[in-house]
Order: sequence, then C-alpha cells, then structure tokens
Amino acid sequence: MRRRDVLAWLGGAAACALPARAQSQAMPVIGYLGLESPGPFDSRLKAFREGLAEAGYVEGRNVAIEYRWAEGRYDRLPALAADLAGRKVAVLVASGGAPAALAAKAATKTITIVFEMGGDPVALGVVDSLSRPGGNLTGVSSLSVEVSRKRLEFMHELRPSASSFAVAVNPTSPTSGSQLRNLQMAAEALGVRLHVMNASKEEEFEAMFSSATREQAGGLVFTSDPYFAFRSTQLADLCLRYSMPAVTQSRDFPTAGGLMSYGGDFMQSHRRTGNCAGRVLSGEKPADLPVQLVTKVELVVNLKTARALSIDVSPSLISGADTVIE
Amino acid sequence: MIGQHLQFRGLFLKYFLVLFLAVVIPLAANGLSEAWFGYRDQRTRLEQLLGVEARSAGAKIQGFLDGITNQLGWLVQLPWTGEPDERRQIDALRLLRQVPAVASLTLLDGNGRERLYVSRIGLNRTESRMDRSAEVAVAGARMNRLWYGKVGYYRDSEPYMTIALTGNRPSVGVVVAEVNLKLIWDVVAAIKIGRTGHAFVLDGPGRLVAHPDINLVLRGADEATLAPFQRIREEIRRAPADVATGRDAGGIAVAAAATPVAGPDWTVVVEQPLSEAFGPIYAALWRTFGLLLAGGAFACLLAFILARRMTEPIRLLEDGTERIGAGQFGHRIEIRTGDELERLADSFNAMAAELAVSQERQERIAKLKRFLAPQVAELVDRTGDDDVLEGRRTEVVAVFCDLRGFTPFSARAAPEEVMSVLSEYYDALGRIITRYEATLTSFSGDGLMVLVNAPVPVAEPALQAVDMAVEMQLSVQTLIAGWRRRGYRIGFGVGLALGPATVGRIGYESRFDYTAIGSVVNLAARLCASAADREILADGAVARAVDGKRAVNPMGMRPIKGYDEELLVYRVAFADQPDAA
Repeated sequence: MRRRDVLAWLGGAAACALPARAQSQAMPVIGYLGLESPGPFDSRLKAFREGLAEAGYVEGRNVAIEYRWAEGRYDRLPALAADLAGRKVAVLVASGGAPAALAAKAATKTITIVFEMGGDPVALGVVDSLSRPGGNLTGVSSLSVEVSRKRLEFMHELRPSASSFAVAVNPTSPTSGSQLRNLQMAAEALGVRLHVMNASKEEEFEAMFSSATREQAGGLVFTSDPYFAFRSTQLADLCLRYSMPAVTQSRDFPTAGGLMSYGGDFMQSHRRTGNCAGRVLSGEKPADLPVQLVTKVELVVNLKTARALSIDVSPSLISGADTVIE
Repeated sequence: MIGQHLQFRGLFLKYFLVLFLAVVIPLAANGLSEAWFGYRDQRTRLEQLLGVEARSAGAKIQGFLDGITNQLGWLVQLPWTGEPDERRQIDALRLLRQVPAVASLTLLDGNGRERLYVSRIGLNRTESRMDRSAEVAVAGARMNRLWYGKVGYYRDSEPYMTIALTGNRPSVGVVVAEVNLKLIWDVVAAIKIGRTGHAFVLDGPGRLVAHPDINLVLRGADEATLAPFQRIREEIRRAPADVATGRDAGGIAVAAAATPVAGPDWTVVVEQPLSEAFGPIYAALWRTFGLLLAGGAFACLLAFILARRMTEPIRLLEDGTERIGAGQFGHRIEIRTGDELERLADSFNAMAAELAVSQERQERIAKLKRFLAPQVAELVDRTGDDDVLEGRRTEVVAVFCDLRGFTPFSARAAPEEVMSVLSEYYDALGRIITRYEATLTSFSGDGLMVLVNAPVPVAEPALQAVDMAVEMQLSVQTLIAGWRRRGYRIGFGVGLALGPATVGRIGYESRFDYTAIGSVVNLAARLCASAADREILADGAVARAVDGKRAVNPMGMRPIKGYDEELLVYRVAFADQPDAA
C-alpha cells in the first residue's frame, strides 16, 4: 500500500515535471471541417463547444480542435477532409451541411465522423438508418431540407393572391433534386406555379432577384442549402433592394433584415453535434449512437421588413411564430 | 525445564486469549449487530426513498402528458359550425408553438370529419372534410374522452405517440395530436435519484419511451437494447417489496422501484446503483471494521500487558522456587504487585530463610552425630540448639574398654587382618553404644571411652552402664572366640566408674569433640587397664548404685595408679559362656 502510494506520488511528481507541450500532445484532437469561414460559423461554434462541454470536454483544456474552412468553395472539401484524416484526429466533425459530411465520408473509413446537416442522411446515403447508423458515421440532422415546402406554404399564406413564386435552388447541392420535387408537390397542393432559379455562386444572387421580380413572383422561397444559409446578410440586402419578400432556412436571414425564416434550430443541432463528438471521444462507438433529429423547427418573422415591403402578416402566422422581430 | 517453560507459555496464552476475547467478543458482537441493523434500516429507508422517488418521477411523467392534454383541451371547447374556424386555427398554431412535443394536430368536427390539420413538417390542411371517424384514435377518444395510442417509432428511431381528446359533448369534435416523445427527455433527464441514479419509462410491451441517454431511446425497438430494462421491470414486478435489485444495461447492480403511469399504460422505473444506495451503510461497515481492528489491536495490547503482569510474578515464583529447590537459600523473590502473589512470594522468601536456618542446623547436627549417639543427635535436633553440649559439671559413668594383646597382634598380623579385626570390633561396640544411648567421646586404636548420662541424662546411669558393659563383653567375647580360631590371641577388658565430671565440647571450629574431664575418667581408665580378659571392673560408686540389681562382687583393695591409697574394686558378674561358643 505504502509502496503504491509512493509510486503514485512519484508518478504525479513526474507528470508535473513534464513540459506543458507534452500534456497538449496527450490531448485528443477533434478535426473540424467547416463549409464556410469562422465568421458566419461563430454562433454555431459556440453551440458546438457548449455541447462538447456537456460531455466533459473543453477546448484547450482537455481537447484540441483543428479547424479546416472551405470558405464556401465546396470543391476544396475533399482535400481538407483528407488533410484532417491524415492527421489521425480522434474524431472528425463535418459541420454545416451534406457536402462536408460526404467529403469526410470519402476521406476516411476508420476515423469516426460526426456530421451536422439539414438533409436526410439516409436519403443522401451517408448512413444506413437513423437508429443504427452503421459504419463510422453518426450525427445530427436539423430537418431543414424536409421543411422546404413549409416555407412555400408560409409565403403563400403571406401573399395569398399571388399565383406564382420563385424558388432558389443551388444545383450543386446533393439535396436540390429532392427538395425541388417536394416543392413541386406542395405547389400543386396550394395551386401555385413555381419559377425555379439556380444560383451556386454569390455573383448569381443579383440575377436571381431581378429574374424573380421580372417574373412577378409573389415571393422568393429559398431551398435549404448551407450556401444560402451562410449568406443571409447579402440575401437580406438584396431582398430589401428588390422589395422581394423571401423566406430562407436560417434565422440569420430575418435577423439581418430579411422577411422570414423557417428551419431547424441550428443552435440545437450544433450543440448536439458537440455532445455527440464528446461521447465519441469518451469511447462510445458511432454504431451505438443513433442519428438525432432536431426537435425544434423555428419560424422567425421580421415585422419591420414586412412593413417596409407593405405586407400584412396574418395573425395566425404571427401566433405560430417562435420569434417576431418588431 | 522445557516442560515448565511450555506450561508458562500455556498460562500466558490462556490469560492472553481470555483477556483478548473478553474485549473483542463484545466489541465484535456490538459491531456486527450494529452493521446488521444499520443495513436493515438503510434497506428500509432505501425502499421508502425509492418508492417516493418512483411516485415523484411517475408524477412528473404524468405531468408531461397532462400538460399536453390540458393544452389540447382548449381546442375542444366549442362546437363546430359549418364555416371554417379561423380562431381555432390560430389556437392550433399557437399550441404548436407552445408545446414543442406536438408534431402535428388534427381537428375533427362532431361528425368525425377533418376540419383542420397543422404540422411542423408537412403542409397544413383546412376544411378537407375527410371522414376519419373510423380511425381507432377517434373511436377511442369518443369512448373514453382521452385516448393514448401505442408508442411507435418514426423511421425506426424517434418515439411517437398519438393522443386523442374530445370535449364534454360530441359536437366539439375530437383533437388528434402526434406527440414526439423524445421531448420527455427534458423531464426524465432532470430526474435524479440520489447522485447517479436515474429514471426511465417503458411502455406496455416494454419498449423504451424515455431515458436520460437519448441514444438508447433512438435505437427504437431493438431487443438487445431493451432486454435489460424489461428484465428490471420484471424483477420489480416479482419482488415482494416495492424495491428490487438487479443489473442495469451497463451490468451495474442497482436497486429499482417502479410506478405505473395510468393513461398510456407506461411504467416509470427509477434506479440507483447499489454502491451509492448502500454507500452510507458501506461507509458505516468500513467504520465498524476499522473500529474493530483498532479495538482488537488495543485489546491485544491490553491482554498482552495484563497477561504479562499476571504471569511474570508466577514466572518469578517458579524461578525462585527452582533456585531455592536447588539450594540457593539466599535467593529472594522480588514481587511488588501488592496482592496475593506478593504475599505468596513473601511466604516463599520466609520459607527460604527458614530453610537456610534449618540447613545450617542440619549441618551442625551432622557434625555432632559423629560423637553423639543418634538419639542424642535427635535430641539436639529436636530442641533446635546444642546447649546440651555446653560445658557443665554432672554425674557421669565413664566406661573404658580395650583389647588385651592387641599391640603384639597388630605387630605380627598383616594390616588387612588388623583392620578387619578392628572393623568387626567397632562394629559390634558401636551398635551397643547406640542402643544404650551412651556417648562415644573418643577412640584410639583398640581403646575407646564412652560416657553415660552426658550430655543426655538417663534414669539410672550406673545400671545402664553396667548392662552395656556386660553386653559389650558378651559381644566381644563372641568375636574373640572367632579370632582365636584364626589363631589371634586377643582378650577384652572393661572398666567403669561413676562420679562427677566436667563435660562439654572441646576443640576448634571444624573439629569438635565432646568429652568429660575429671577423676572419674582417670579412674575408669585405670580400672580398664587393670581388668583382665573377660573382666568388667567397677568402682565402689557403681557397685553401690547397682547394688541389689546386678551381681557385683568385691575383689578386694587394689592399688590404682594416680591414687595414694588402695581402692576397693568390684567385678561385675555376667553369664560367661566362653566355651559355649
């Protein structure tokens, strides 16, 4: 007993004597693959770190995070994912959307990948099933893709007299096809026509708005796509400039002066991603961690913008909104 | 020696064990009973606590469902009209916002036709007027007012349940809500049993509805995941008390209690690791064990000291008696315990002192025995002092005797023959002297001197001396007969006289003799010298003293050396049988 104490004490003393660099080397490393740049990701990272802390990990104290940012250029994702996989990180977090998850999946079959996306991971072929993901992937889906049709519905409710609406689609997005089909069916149910407009670069945004105005669309409905979601400020500016009511998936949009947003709560999805990554660090197998769906889908309305666009927001819509900006 | 040591060790061990057990047994009995009763109390307390926790957790889960049904109740207050109900649509949307667990709501009118459908994911519908009265949820609500569906898993992962509710009359219609049960997580995760215990919820068939680890719930109807939870519920059902023990999914031993949630036929199970639940009693057990150890060590020390204090004097006594037994009478046993043992040691010491005195006397007496008759020696021994040997003047009979013709014989004969003759001679005389309680004062060569009436007084000294002389003659004559046959020409004569003499011990420290000094001694010696073989000559005093008792014949006046005038000498007659031999 005494000898063991002495050994433990010696061990402790030796550990204290080791340089700080050795400690940081012993810390597990999370590889973080982000679709955009740190700026728009700021609030998401905050939520991610909260989730990580729930699982007992604090960046810089007992975990290190290596960030790789694609800055909106999805073609860079495979190289960045391969780079992180090459660094033998303990867990690879693919955050922001399906392109990151797919790039990560292609980069490694051994390192556990925790994804955060708006689409259906089963339909996208990322995992086999929600309850039993299988392979080395698990993660969180925020349901944003599934609720594209609800955006059209809200826009229709806002402009009941309009007979056609413009739909903004990013053709490079893996979910664009399914979202478009979904929207077409909803349009039929609502009895409206859709003008589909493609944009996969910032330079094409302006053309999209002018085209929607030309088509006399009742409003512009954005499909769920991270490229649009992370450019809410530009889109909000264009909206006001073209007096075009629009709805996107991200609450950043009405906050920046856009009219309305409807989509999964990304704070929740990123926090759960952090929690999930923490549990993987603690030794849990990805196969034992089912894919989580975000429970909260939030509607945010900016009444100031509505007034500026001379749009009457119906009481039922206001009462159903989670946040109303006045 | 070894055996004695073993005995000593045995005694020490006995004392030690008795003292040790006397302390340890009550201590252990107390500790064990305390532990046992503590365990039972803790067990009872745990059962009560877990029971309360289970009911409280059940109330919280019930509260979650009641919260939803209360909200739903607002949608079935007023009867439906034929017109679309704008107001009710706003209420429904507000409810969706208010109750995050509700994924979609369907409002049916009194005829069971769908008037409104609102969803978080799908498109809303108004006034579709589809007939849904045949649906099981609608029928259930109409029958029981509140109806809970079975738990289902959306995409095999997320638990969902349908709740249908109607108002106080059929015309208010029915509200059917799809409830995402994942939201119970907030409730169930907040339930903490002790420090690490938790609660979980199973539905009727034993599927997991809620668990603090949401991942377990999201695995859906996975048998391997569900089995441990179902097993625990089964064990609680079978347990006679409200509380059962079993193993949770992680294989940790837990104590668990359950309570039903009436409406949806769910069971809320609370469990707490046994290590935590019995933590206090384990701590108490360790404490008791520690105290027992400390008490045992103390008892051991105490028993050792006491046993040592008890056996050490005994060992000293043993050692002392051994030494005294070996003759070390100067040894003293030092015991200062102030009890019986000290008294015993004191007795031993006194005994040793007495033994020393006694031995000294024994030694002295042994010395005296050389010249005293054994009877005299005994007397000295009995009286305990040798005062009788002190010098005094008393009436004694001095008896002298010697062999006739011994000197020429000794010159002729071989030393062995001389010594053999002397040996037989003294052997015979010695026995007689002893028998007559006379005192052999000295002998040299063939002559010897015997005193009667000193130092031990006798009743009739003269008579005794005469009888002794006669026996001596008879005895020696028998020997002489033998010697003559071997060709030795030896005779034996005796002389005795009665009169006052100074008797006492003379000599120096290691060489004492008892002797008589006076004319009577000289007279007896002269008489002996003048006595022929087979003759016993006595003086007048002896003759007078034995007159009439023994035959003493006057022999006429004889000149005696050292006396101026002639003395009348008497011859003691005795049955002389020289030829008989």
